[in-house]
Amino acid sequence: MSTGTALAHGSAQSDEFNPFLAMAERFNTAADLLGLEPGVRDVLREPDRELTVSIPVVMDDGRIRLFKGYRVQHNFLRGPAKGGIRFAPDVHLDEVRALAAWMTWKCSVVNVPFGGGKGGVICDPRSMSRGELERLTRRYTTAIMDILGPDRDVPAPDMNTNEQTMAWIMDTYSMHVRRSTTAIVTGKPLTLGGSRGRSEATGRGVMISCREALKTLGIRPESARVVVQGSGNVGGIGATLMHREGYKIVSISDISGAIHNEKGLDMPAVRAWLADNRTLEGYPDAERIDAAEQLELECEVLAPCATENQITSQNVDRIKARLIVEGANGPTTAVADKKLEERGILVVPDILANAGGVTVSYFEWVQDRMGYFWTEEIVNSRLEQSMVASFYDVDRYRRKYECSMRIASYLLAVERVANVYKMRGILS
Amino acid sequence: MVQNAKPAGTDESQLPTTPPLDEESPFATMMTAFDEAAGQLGINPDNYEILRRPDREIRYSVPVRLDSGRMTVFDGYRVQHNQGLGPFCGPLTLSSSVNLDTLRALAAWMTWKCALMGIPFGGAAGGIAIDIQQNSRAELERAVRRYAAGILDSIGPEIDVLTPDAQTSEEHVMAWIMDTVSIHNRHAENAVVTGKPALLSGTRGSIDAVAQGMRTILRLATAANDMGNDRPRVIVQGSGRVGGHFARLAHESGFHVVGISDVQTALYNEKGLSIPDILSWRQAHGSLAKCPANAEKISNAELVTRDCDVLAPCAVANAVHSRNAQDVRAKLIVEGAHGPVSVRADRILSERGVKVVPDILANAGGVVSNYFEWVQNRQGLTWLDELVAKRRKRFMTEAWNAVSDLSEREGVRLRMAAHMLAVKRVADADSLRGVYA
Repeated sequence: MSTGTALAHGSAQSDEFNPFLAMAERFNTAADLLGLEPGVRDVLREPDRELTVSIPVVMDDGRIRLFKGYRVQHNFLRGPAKGGIRFAPDVHLDEVRALAAWMTWKCSVVNVPFGGGKGGVICDPRSMSRGELERLTRRYTTAIMDILGPDRDVPAPDMNTNEQTMAWIMDTYSMHVRRSTTAIVTGKPLTLGGSRGRSEATGRGVMISCREALKTLGIRPESARVVVQGSGNVGGIGATLMHREGYKIVSISDISGAIHNEKGLDMPAVRAWLADNRTLEGYPDAERIDAAEQLELECEVLAPCATENQITSQNVDRIKARLIVEGANGPTTAVADKKLEERGILVVPDILANAGGVTVSYFEWVQDRMGYFWTEEIVNSRLEQSMVASFYDVDRYRRKYECSMRIASYLLAVERVANVYKMRGILS
Repeated sequence: MVQNAKPAGTDESQLPTTPPLDEESPFATMMTAFDEAAGQLGINPDNYEILRRPDREIRYSVPVRLDSGRMTVFDGYRVQHNQGLGPFCGPLTLSSSVNLDTLRALAAWMTWKCALMGIPFGGAAGGIAIDIQQNSRAELERAVRRYAAGILDSIGPEIDVLTPDAQTSEEHVMAWIMDTVSIHNRHAENAVVTGKPALLSGTRGSIDAVAQGMRTILRLATAANDMGNDRPRVIVQGSGRVGGHFARLAHESGFHVVGISDVQTALYNEKGLSIPDILSWRQAHGSLAKCPANAEKISNAELVTRDCDVLAPCAVANAVHSRNAQDVRAKLIVEGAHGPVSVRADRILSERGVKVVPDILANAGGVVSNYFEWVQNRQGLTWLDELVAKRRKRFMTEAWNAVSDLSEREGVRLRMAAHMLAVKRVADADSLRGVYA
């Protein structure tokens, strides 16, 4: 089966661990359920545009090195393309394609007026100086500039890119077009048109999805034991916010392993410890357990907020949570998904649960376009409204089609894009 | 270079738009404040070099056909200082005394002011060297339109936004520019200028914006200096667009306005003045000279040194100078005019423990209003009066809090704290953006 979004290069991973194949499979399931005609299905699956560019950079030693970069724009039907730019040695066009499609569905689920895009440069940022990275970023921006714009394609940070990278892109673009164009990228520093509340947006969205899902399960916050995998921007902030809402965070992890306390962790203390020590190792008021063991703890909620392929055919039978909230992208494999569904474990899928980030990116773009910036309270309350509305939109589809939350999300996302396609028609 | 501070006309409606200060060129004066702030901050040398010069200076000829049929050529200028934080923004001055040195200072000053107020603009300033008394309105219009056409590529809502100064707000200068740019661009481009008439997508509340902002500062500053409880006595120098509105607002807010003035006459009564009556008299008669108010009639110079808690110089530059600073009896000065306290007077007041809320903060209600107009034009939405008032208050309050906190933390006077905050914000933005090549 050609999915158009699959990783085509020789990968040692089995299909189960290929998150893009998994996404394609879920897209197909949704398209079948919606009864999409084959032509429309092709249109929605294939990227609109793919650009490959060569990026010459004068390195600090005076030599020229040529890098390769990509920007894929999957779909513009609902608005300008939106998606991150990653810098990594293993960036591959197939992966960029798949991630761009993923963005189309994510933006559609939470109903922000964007299509999907993604970009990447094959490089090893860890071996490059700040000056080399700046020159690389600026030249890459120049190379893809003709297809960028606040109304065309709006990049954001991704793997190994950050606020600083976005500031360089904004500056390069603005100088080229001879006007200050903050809305060209999101994820900018506050002083350059960034949005308040953005750094904690994904974690906040995870908390909100979790809270609404617990309501549908009839579980009260104070009797919810939560296990969080990951303690960065998503897991750490998500856990802190859930703790504030009265949940009992019984375990959290970082790359060093996991900590566990049946009585509940004092999250502000854990965050403070992390800030001081940069690792959970040695945190006093908890026992250490290993990472694999953590996922199988007795709990009501499991929130995988670290990396992909954590709940697989290997461990799915030992998962004891009643609710899984996917803070990370692709933490559950498709095989595991089916098992969880059979066992009646509710999964709030990544494209819904972690869409708080793209939602506040959208808010940043809106604020940049008007040039007026909201208070943090306004950003948070609009995020709250948007996440809650999206959760119940998906929940309605889940009931209507009697399927998992994940398939319901894809149904909603694909149907929204398909409807726009039907209304707009084809320019010939 | 000695450039004499031109005594600013006769009324505050002809306020100098630059701070012409004692014995120094305006640019040098601005640089003194900037250098001191940069030194205090320990700013890195690369940033320093960038910040101390304007990004771009444009001088060009503005040929105009006079009503007599003859042609004359005026000088047009636009100085764009820094765009780290966003598009340039700054006033357009129509005055035969316009010169590059003054505009450079004013452009840099606008950079600091916008940065201090948390407004996403850089600073600019421009002008046409034309005498608005000597030239007819039609000549003025032709000059302004030709000026706009001449810098069309360098202005725009995301490039450089023009704002009025005291003279240009009286005429329909901003409307002419908006019209010229819109016709060239073939779509309504109202966000290219602010201070437009309400009919042409101007903002609500722009008439007394400066005074409203000053009232917020007055309340915060008196409360912070333990004067909040017993109706502080306020002297206002000036009674026009800044001073008049400010006196009215202070009076309405329960302050004891004990002194007010216009160009010729000052009124003082230590028990308080009936401000609404005085202002309507002035409105009706055009002057305070024969005002029957129950008050002593004194000179403007004397007014500055009369007994009060708060002095608000809202008329001319250098109202407080090295020769009268010793005699000022106020505990707090709120600068409504541009540069009403000279550099030397500032030092004297600082030694005497008199707090001065600097112009860059105290009269920033105007630039906030301009910014709001730009936002509303981009949104295509007009904010109601309450919303404008609420948001302006928030901007003024946040800036005051930041300045007064920094002033306490670093043990520097308010003026220095304001400049430090502003310079740091611009330097940080410049560092994040890096140098484009």
